[in-house]
Amino acid sequence: MMKKVAGMILTSALAVAALTGCTSEPGGNQSSSKTAATEAGQTAGSDTSGETDKTIALFMTHMSNEFTITLSSAVEEEAKLRGYKYNVYDAGQDAAAQSDQIEQAVTLGVDGIIIEPVSVDGIVPAVKYAKEAGVKVVIVNQRISKPEEADCYVGADAATTGEILMKKVMEDIDGKGNIALLLGPMGSDGQVGRSEGFEKVLAEYPEVTVVFQDTAEWQTEPALRITENWLNAGKDIVAVVSQNDGMAVGAAKAIADAQKGGEIKVYGIDATSEGLQAVLDGKLAATVSQGTEDQGRLSADACVDLLEGKSVDAETIVTNVIYTTANAQDALNALK
Amino acid sequence: MNKTIGNNRFFNFKEFGILIAFFMLVAALMIISPNAFAQPRNLINILKQASINGILSCGMMFVIIAGGIDLSAGSTIALSGVAAAYFARLDRTPVLLPILVAVAVGGLVGAVNGAGVAYANLPPFIITLSTMTGVRGLALIVSGGSPIYGLAGSFEKLTNQFLLGVPALAVYFIIIALFSGFILVKTVFGRRVYAIGGSETTARVSGINVKKMKLAVYTICGCMAGIAGLLVASRTVQGSPTAGDGYEMDAIAAVVIGGISMSGGAGKWYGTIIGALLLAVISNGLDILGVSSNYQKIIKGVIIAVAVYLDLRGKAKQE
Repeated sequence: MMKKVAGMILTSALAVAALTGCTSEPGGNQSSSKTAATEAGQTAGSDTSGETDKTIALFMTHMSNEFTITLSSAVEEEAKLRGYKYNVYDAGQDAAAQSDQIEQAVTLGVDGIIIEPVSVDGIVPAVKYAKEAGVKVVIVNQRISKPEEADCYVGADAATTGEILMKKVMEDIDGKGNIALLLGPMGSDGQVGRSEGFEKVLAEYPEVTVVFQDTAEWQTEPALRITENWLNAGKDIVAVVSQNDGMAVGAAKAIADAQKGGEIKVYGIDATSEGLQAVLDGKLAATVSQGTEDQGRLSADACVDLLEGKSVDAETIVTNVIYTTANAQDALNALK
Repeated sequence: MNKTIGNNRFFNFKEFGILIAFFMLVAALMIISPNAFAQPRNLINILKQASINGILSCGMMFVIIAGGIDLSAGSTIALSGVAAAYFARLDRTPVLLPILVAVAVGGLVGAVNGAGVAYANLPPFIITLSTMTGVRGLALIVSGGSPIYGLAGSFEKLTNQFLLGVPALAVYFIIIALFSGFILVKTVFGRRVYAIGGSETTARVSGINVKKMKLAVYTICGCMAGIAGLLVASRTVQGSPTAGDGYEMDAIAAVVIGGISMSGGAGKWYGTIIGALLLAVISNGLDILGVSSNYQKIIKGVIIAVAVYLDLRGKAKQE
């Protein structure tokens, strides 16, 4: 018995080790130093002299969803294209770990850094430390509490994203009827910003009533459950507007299960591959991108420009794009 | 505690306070919302919504009665769901394959927990906390961080259809609940689960292989989490690495509300079922009334505290 069990544990431990071992490439704390920049630099038609020995480091909050992975891949691609070496650090949502990682990287010698901050306040000392060491600092996706400490900011504006989506909804439902809102975790930056954008538009449409709004914590199954309950409440809902695609897909499933597919329109945000596919399948009416790839590309560009002594705008806001059946296929192809 | 071990009746209505509370809540909601909550369609909907947490709670019940806890159940939902979705992407694969894969993945996680508790003597809280974190990471790595979608119609049908007028999800829940009740009450194995939770030393002295029992109990819990993961994946038609986040807490809540002692060895199987139904009624009723889930959390918190208080008071009286 003991032998059997010991064998089983060992096998499963090995399986786990094998799985994590071979795929830890994008995550990992600082193990994933990419030296491929030299090869890429030679072939890419970049506007620098080709390759440099300068390094750009990217500090991500985490590397565990499509948004962060798309963003970091875009930074990597652009940095290599312009002939720079590239490192990525994964803070695992830990603000203290992110500050440590930044200080360590600066000490080890890095030329420019791009930070997707875990904590908008907590990151400020690390930003100062980097600046004092002569390192160029670009903040991406989320503004820090003292933007003047960094060189520039590249990001989407959550309120604008929410506003653009809600305008599209109003257009589709002719500015009247009952709607329901699926929100992100209450108090999270995405939720607060996107709700602000929603409200700004809704204030102009007195004939629209928000009959339900609740958080489904960005998750699909809770969104499905909540929407099922709403559908049983006997209110005539014309649209469900969700703050991300994952929850929108859950709402669409509840509506399809209730045989109300054509009657209630569903909207999402983020334009993930799943969301775009759902648009093409007719499950979602539209989704709005927050320019994830652009954020990555433009932040890498800004960092390189700073290193080359060019001037850079203090703030670059990427543009949102609305995806419907008309243009979702192209965006989906681009993601794959 | 020996009272419970000796009691092998399938039903026991001595402690039905929770049942009264349940019916009072349902009655109150029916009065407040006769045109929505009280509709038969919605009552069936509640049964459906209680199912996934209910199945997870059945597994959790085994572990808690045996004196343990499993914090990894929510992460296991994600990993087994991702694994099932991976095999459910093609229309050609028989739907049995993702089912077996999900149960096997869940069982494997459970076996690791069980082995950690039984053979490495790790506290259940610690080993399942570490698998909770590790398994979530594994789910994210295996899926590449985003949901696996585009699943076969046959896989979606698992949860999408009605069997004899009852949603398939509810049918699975009923079968698993009755099965769990049968095992706990009518079999020697079940009696031993109570025995090791009541007093490990006594159980060992009376010849029960405590280590083997623990391994089995955690494996059962893992398998149930695997089934729950399979059903979440089928219901949402995607295998999401972030699914099931925090679900272990709802399962523990259902078990505790059902009057099962957190110190192990005591509690009735149907308590868990009522606990799961109660939680589903609260969510459904308050969603329909448009009450924010922030308030729902407070209400659930209060109910859990009251349930444990009643449990402790009941025990004090017995002594």
